[in-house]
Parts: sequence; C-alpha cells; structure tokens
Amino acid sequence: MRELIHEIRNQLAVAIGNVEGFRDGILEPTRARLDAVLAALGRIEVLLSQATSAEREERTPKP
Amino acid sequence: MKNRILVVDDEPALLDVLEQYLRDEGFEVIRAADGPSAVELFSTHHPDLVVLDLTLPGLPGTEVLKRIRAERDVPIIMLTARTDEVDRVVGLELGADDYIGKPFSPREVVARVKSVLRRSERAGREPSATQRQIGALTIDNVAHEIRVGGKPVTLTPTQFKILDALASHVGQTLTRDQLLAHVSADADIFDRTLDRHIANLRARIEPDPANPQYIVTVFGIGYKMVKPA
Repeated sequence: MRELIHEIRNQLAVAIGNVEGFRDGILEPTRARLDAVLAALGRIEVLLSQATSAEREERTPKP
Repeated sequence: MKNRILVVDDEPALLDVLEQYLRDEGFEVIRAADGPSAVELFSTHHPDLVVLDLTLPGLPGTEVLKRIRAERDVPIIMLTARTDEVDRVVGLELGADDYIGKPFSPREVVARVKSVLRRSERAGREPSATQRQIGALTIDNVAHEIRVGGKPVTLTPTQFKILDALASHVGQTLTRDQLLAHVSADADIFDRTLDRHIANLRARIEPDPANPQYIVTVFGIGYKMVKPA
C-alpha cells in the first residue's frame, strides 16, 4: 500500500506540474506533454483500482 | 552569473516541468534521471544547488546525497513522494537544506530553490549564527546553551532543535512539517507530541507560558518565533 501511495503521489506531481505549467505559460501544451498528463492520470486510475482490490481482499474473511 | 541547478528525478515528465520553470527564472539546468549519473554530473558540472529525488534507480537518493556532500558542501533540496516522518527526517539528518513532498507546485520548488540559494549565499555556507539574541532570550548553538535574561535554562535536545529552528526564522511561520523535519529521527517525535514539546519549551522560556511572547501559535499551520514588543 505504501508503494502504491508513493507512486500515486509521483504521478500526481507529473499531472499537476504540467497543468500548472500550461496555466502559467511556462510550458507549451504540446501533444507530447498532454499525453504525459493523460498517461499519469491513467496510471493513477490503475493504481487506485489496485488499491481498491487490495483493500477488498483484506476485508474478505479468510476461510 | 547564472546559477546552475542539477535536477535529479527518475520521471522524465517531471524533469521537463522543473527544467522549464527553473530556466524561466534564469537558472541553468542540468538533468539526471538516475543515481549514478547524478553523482557523475555533479562532479563534472559543479552545480550551485541540487534538487534531488529520494527514490532513484541505480543508487538511492540518500546515497547520492552522501556522495555529493563528501565532495562539496552544496545546498540540496530533497524531493520525495514519501511523507513519512522517518523519510523526511532521514534527508535532513543527512544534511539536506530543505524538503519538498510530492505532489508539489513547480512554482513552490522555484521559490524554495531561490530561498535556499539566498540563505546559503548569505551564510557563505557557514553553519547558522553561533549566538542569537531575541528579546531577553540568548541562544548559543555552539555551546548548546539558552539563557533567559542572562539566566541559564536547560532544554532537552529536541526542545533545543525546535527552538533553534524557530529562532533561525524569526517572524516567519514554520509549518508543523518543517518543524518535525528539524528534529532528529531518534527523538521519536510525532505530530501531536510536537505540541507537547512546544508547551514544555514555552514553560521554560516564556515569562507567561499561557500568553506566549516568543513562540506564537499560527492556527492550522504551525508556529512562529517573534521578537517580543
């Protein structure tokens, strides 16, 4: 779980950093950068579903 | 002359962001995506400051920090996606100058880079002032002595570190995280016990601990050292 959170924070940093860069006019919103943001968000989605199923497994009583 | 910054992170999209923001502020930027190349680029390019991620392939950030410091006393700002106190403290124990948790705002990173550079230029990379006088309070951080109105006061090492951190930033609010980061790993200090340490500290240095004149609470954020009126 710790590693998951760690990776989510990392990917959030990528998404937030880029979008702020677009807003501040520091970064050109090129196709490659927009793809990087989407990839980071997609990765967060995957990580969150992994976290959800890990939690579900923990809750299921062992036979 | 342009300050040269070495930015180390294994995420290229993040290196890109930090590089552009720092360039926009007039810095020269060198990038490294793993531990060994960070150490190598440090030796060959002599940066003025290093922004270093703690989790790196090849060589952990802590090891990179040690090797860099063994070579030269350069300001280091650590980045990390881990926010456990232990990790936070590890970096500062190893001698990092500042710590930024991920995710962050890139503007925040630029602001910290500037502030750490200013601080280190002002200090000439000397350790913080040996003796500080704030109101009736004298803090000697070489002798590790505190006097209030000339009378010596005994503090625990943790209390001393908290006081020293606050006293080096008079008038500036330090967040709970920043204060925790100043305290060593073995001191076993956690978020709530910080309040207790502050209370004990006030009991020793404040004329009226219920109405603090030196260590002021900034609600919801942290604490601030002020010069008594």
